[in-house]
Amino acid sequence: MTSGASRRSEKRVPEAAAPRRGARVQRTGLDSRVRAWSRHHRAMARDSAFRLARRPLGSLLTMVAIAIALILPCALWLVMDSAKVLDTELDESATLTVYLSASLGERQAMDIAETLRAQPGVAGARLVTAAEGMAEFQQALGLEDALSELEENPLPASIIVSPRDVSPQAVNGLGEQLDEVEGVDEVRLDLAWLERLNRLAELGQRLTLALGVLFGLGVLLIVGNTIRLAVESRRQEIEVVTLIGATHAFVRRPFLYSGAWYGLGGGMLAWAILSLGRQWLAAPVQALAQSYGATFVMPSLGLEGSAILLVSSTLLGWLGSWMAVSRHLKDIRPR
Amino acid sequence: MIAFEHVGKRYGGRFEALADINFSVQRGEMVFLTGHSGAGKSSLLRLIMRLERPSRGRILVAGYDIDRLHYSQVPFYRRQIGVVFQDHQLLSDRDVFSNVALPLEIQGVEPHEAARRVRAALDKVGLLHREKALPIELSGGEQQRIGIARAVVNKPALLLADEPTGNLDPQLSADIMRLFEDFNRIGTTVMIASHDLALIARLRHRVLRLREGRLIADEHAAREVV
Repeated sequence: MTSGASRRSEKRVPEAAAPRRGARVQRTGLDSRVRAWSRHHRAMARDSAFRLARRPLGSLLTMVAIAIALILPCALWLVMDSAKVLDTELDESATLTVYLSASLGERQAMDIAETLRAQPGVAGARLVTAAEGMAEFQQALGLEDALSELEENPLPASIIVSPRDVSPQAVNGLGEQLDEVEGVDEVRLDLAWLERLNRLAELGQRLTLALGVLFGLGVLLIVGNTIRLAVESRRQEIEVVTLIGATHAFVRRPFLYSGAWYGLGGGMLAWAILSLGRQWLAAPVQALAQSYGATFVMPSLGLEGSAILLVSSTLLGWLGSWMAVSRHLKDIRPR
Repeated sequence: MIAFEHVGKRYGGRFEALADINFSVQRGEMVFLTGHSGAGKSSLLRLIMRLERPSRGRILVAGYDIDRLHYSQVPFYRRQIGVVFQDHQLLSDRDVFSNVALPLEIQGVEPHEAARRVRAALDKVGLLHREKALPIELSGGEQQRIGIARAVVNKPALLLADEPTGNLDPQLSADIMRLFEDFNRIGTTVMIASHDLALIARLRHRVLRLREGRLIADEHAAREVV
């Protein structure tokens, strides 16, 4: 086919063309090939949707299976996401308590608070005088009578310091730094729970990722199996079109669209179930939060999350189908 | 159009389906391929369609060494060959029109142009009035004619047929053969595998005779070389 150009010109000469008709690979313009390609895409997208609609129950079951596989990692992700909101709230409450020497007077205590406020790592410092400390203590414990028996206030003045950086290392460093300040008796910081919380968050993230990967594989397998059956049921058609010159891409195309439809349908179902579940859980969660005196906003996927869910489920469906078709096309050889 | 040069085909390394086949078919010829079942007729056709590759030798079709075709080129090569099967291989869930349109759909022919060509092909086989029918509603002879329409709808240079009259009575068989002769008359190279010796003898075309995988005769019926 090196003389393609000259052969093409022969095409216009009837006498020369007659005996040679069709003896060459038909060369069509790029433009018309692109049009044919997009026409086939549209036709297959439509055709595969009709095929799904023709077996509504079977298609729905596949989509439900996909939805279930998608819901678990999504739900976990939502829980983790709302925990993040909680996390930042807790970070804000991560403070160091600086106890001052009992011998210091109120004036000196205020000076020290001023010094601490000027430290680079400190976001804020609130002085709690010995009297205020006593009042808080009494209120918290309800031991007013017992404590009023005491002749003098045993509590030292303290300063509540909010660090700028709440990472455990930074808080630790700041604690050591504050301990050096004159008049400071002791610095208390509860790093253990901060670290625990961080570990927990990391664990949650990894768990979400692992589950996401596992259930994503699950979706691939569900779609793959469904498509395998579809390929099997259209075996004769595949053999015939292969015999008359269909490319692999042509044969694969309707199945890829089926897979994408399954994925999209499953994604939409998952989205709907997540929304319903969110509403269903909203009341008890809200009540629970209130009993802790907290306001809690139920997490939602949001626009971005919904888009990610639908796009990734569609892609997973497409990919699952691609794997199944590619594997099974090798087995189908025209007899 | 077709040239076999010392072609051999073994299956599984032992069974020799074809051995040292040499022949060539000119453009515009009509050739019968005959022999008992198992003589290698189907294997030979499968080699031309490149469903199989030869174990030995070289096959040239329309100037291509088809064993050298890259697998991605094979579909485009097959589009130049029209194939008619004994069991016609029509798709049962499509009507006659879409069955015949299938090769054009694969080649991405514009729907308008495709419809025109499908009707022309259906008219040629005399079944234009059945375009809306499903294959199952047609008789065996009609189904085979639809199979032929599908094979010729994209005007292939080469038309292959594997026992196209295997399931038909003599009258219908003769009709089908006449159809092939019509296509041959307008320049299509035709190769038909058949064991209907009486019919072949009447038609007076070149005959390639196979026995146990070997080409035992290459005779022109017109010359009466038996």
